[in-house]
Amino acid sequence: MEKAIIIRYCEIHLKGKNRGHFEKLLKENVQKSLKGINHTFTVMRSRYLIENFDESDYEIITEKLRKIAGVHNYSLAYVVANDFEEILKAAEKICEGKKGTFRVTTNRADKTFKPDSMETSMLLGGRLLEKYGNNIKVDVKNPDFTIFVDIREDKKTFVYSETVSCMSGMPVGSAGKGLLLISGGIDSPVAGYMMCKRGMKIECLHFHSFPYTGEAAKEKVKDLTKIVGEYNGGITLHVVSFTHIQEEIHKKCPEEYMITIMRRFMMRIAERMANQRGAQAIITGESLGQVASQTIESITSSNSVVTMPVLRPLIGFDKLDIIDISKKIEAYETSILPYEDCCTVFLPKFPLIKPNLQKVIYTESKLDVESLIEEAMSNIETYTF
Amino acid sequence: MIYLDNAATTKPSESALKKAEIFNSEYYFNPSALYRGGLDCAKEVKKAKESVLKNLGTSDHEVIFTSCGTESDNTAIFCAVKRGSYVTDKGEHAAVYKSFCELKNKGQTVFFADLLPDGSVDTDKLYDYVSNNRVDFVSIVHVNNETGAINDINEIAKKLKEINNKIVFHSDGVQAYGKLPYKLSKNIDLYSISAHKINGLKGVGALIKRKTLSLAPYIIGGGQENGLRSGTENVFGIKVFEYAGEERYSVLNDNFNKVTALKNKALSLIDKSIFKVISSDNASPYVLSVSAVGLKGEVLMHILESEGIIVGNGSACSSKNPFSRVIESCGYDKNVLNGVIRISFSPYSTDDEIVKAIERLNDNAKKLKGIMN
Repeated sequence: MEKAIIIRYCEIHLKGKNRGHFEKLLKENVQKSLKGINHTFTVMRSRYLIENFDESDYEIITEKLRKIAGVHNYSLAYVVANDFEEILKAAEKICEGKKGTFRVTTNRADKTFKPDSMETSMLLGGRLLEKYGNNIKVDVKNPDFTIFVDIREDKKTFVYSETVSCMSGMPVGSAGKGLLLISGGIDSPVAGYMMCKRGMKIECLHFHSFPYTGEAAKEKVKDLTKIVGEYNGGITLHVVSFTHIQEEIHKKCPEEYMITIMRRFMMRIAERMANQRGAQAIITGESLGQVASQTIESITSSNSVVTMPVLRPLIGFDKLDIIDISKKIEAYETSILPYEDCCTVFLPKFPLIKPNLQKVIYTESKLDVESLIEEAMSNIETYTF
Repeated sequence: MIYLDNAATTKPSESALKKAEIFNSEYYFNPSALYRGGLDCAKEVKKAKESVLKNLGTSDHEVIFTSCGTESDNTAIFCAVKRGSYVTDKGEHAAVYKSFCELKNKGQTVFFADLLPDGSVDTDKLYDYVSNNRVDFVSIVHVNNETGAINDINEIAKKLKEINNKIVFHSDGVQAYGKLPYKLSKNIDLYSISAHKINGLKGVGALIKRKTLSLAPYIIGGGQENGLRSGTENVFGIKVFEYAGEERYSVLNDNFNKVTALKNKALSLIDKSIFKVISSDNASPYVLSVSAVGLKGEVLMHILESEGIIVGNGSACSSKNPFSRVIESCGYDKNVLNGVIRISFSPYSTDDEIVKAIERLNDNAKKLKGIMN
């Protein structure tokens, strides 16, 4: 019996005259993701259909679908002719080995098919009970599983039961471009994922502090970037050498200002990089109050050096919520590898928790901010995955 | 590049590789096969075993080739005694230490003997425990891979067997074989060695076993290695191991003296106002462990790397614990633990290399001290 994957989207339905644009983008993203896998792709009303694929590729296809922003869910359906007995055979396959309550829901677009949808559901239900009545019984209000029968005008009927939830959200590329500051910890990859989910195409920026952090830490960031890239349809990572800036701050500013001023440098470099790359926003993994640099005073201090919007999708999330998403997107195991990231070596014993902006600006005036930034901007490695 | 991380691995010997090449190009047969080529290969594997035994000066033992030192250690620990009470020390390589942790998790009685500040085993405590408890299996490392401390395993095994002659004694000799002048005593039941630490290849190790000791196999299959380690022998790797071993043992004492001079040179040059020397004078000259107190060893390692000098930093990143478990067990505080650097020599290291490496080490540590403090 032939099989097909029915792909559905959700939020795009809410769009008005631009709907076609979003649909086209999602279609392109799905097709790009499935490149190299044999299949046929059909656009149907409010959904897509994948047919003629090798069954051994099913896992690979669905794994990819689960990582495409905008895909709400999918179902694996049996494809049969518009013929009652054929439909019944497919429905029987679904019931095999199942226990509990069920219902049949029929949608009859092919009006030449007789009987009508209500009666088809009833007749199918009756025949299924005859065969599997020992294990299943009907409950139309609150069934354990539903058998959907979709009788289409093109003389094909889809019979399926389960739908598998995916990322939902909006297709990547529909909401502009952002530059994600990625550190190697748990939060930033999650923040990147969240923005991909809302349709933003992202690039990543990492601050590397060789020799204070090693090659292993950089490799870890590359691995994390690749993971985020799976939700982004490929990704680019920029690595900025941050060592000299850290050393200068350490040398010229009081210890407790280290992180506050470091964050301001990072934001400035990020804004310049974003402008260079045509990104319209900076994305960070900050979560309010999680660490000293993420209090509202610290955020005010770092935010005040840029004019570009800074998106902080995790700002109201608890650490445990973030960890849950990190695990879901399969970044957690990489994130918790023990290599030091750029923040830990120069970590002051007592960082400023509530920096006073005027004092920060005064302290920072001991540094040649512009030339340090220019130096950093001239020393960037770029990787595309 | 100046490579001073020879305790991690060594550069394969070009002459040994060349000499063994024939086992890839012509004698590629399966040593278990019954035709001429197979029999010839089996003979060559046998020769390699005889060579190992000769190097260790023993006729009471036999050799089981394995895939690495870790496999040898695991085989010894999990297969010599089926259950009972196990004793080791806190200075073991992870291959032994974690195996003992696994035994403990499985409910066996396990005791970890303390270390002295140089990383050698506190034998008083060891003997005391063994005298007062039932013990079936003891594993004590020959040369500590992080500090170079040498345990006199022949003496320890003898004492332990005087206390209880039923004890099975194993030693991890990975950092000793091909480096220290040493004769394997009859009291050592099991001894692990590895090829790539002495200019052989990765993927080859051996477990030396006292002939009369019975051992259950760890890997079961076609019955190779007298049924004690199934799997087709890596003839090429084994021959490279044999030839590299021969190269080492033909000049073992000369190498020992040369490396001792290198270590002493390094010690004389190292800036004692910055570095604390962890290795003791009577440690293996092949390993010199120092700590840039108050600094980060890993950072120093990266700086040296960027200048083409490769040193080790113990196994700081091998676990979630940021400090070396072994050095911590020697009783040092956080400032020392953070700064550990391991310099490990090869007989092929030169005087000039050591002078340059230590000069750069001193210089960079001084600079780093200025930046970090």
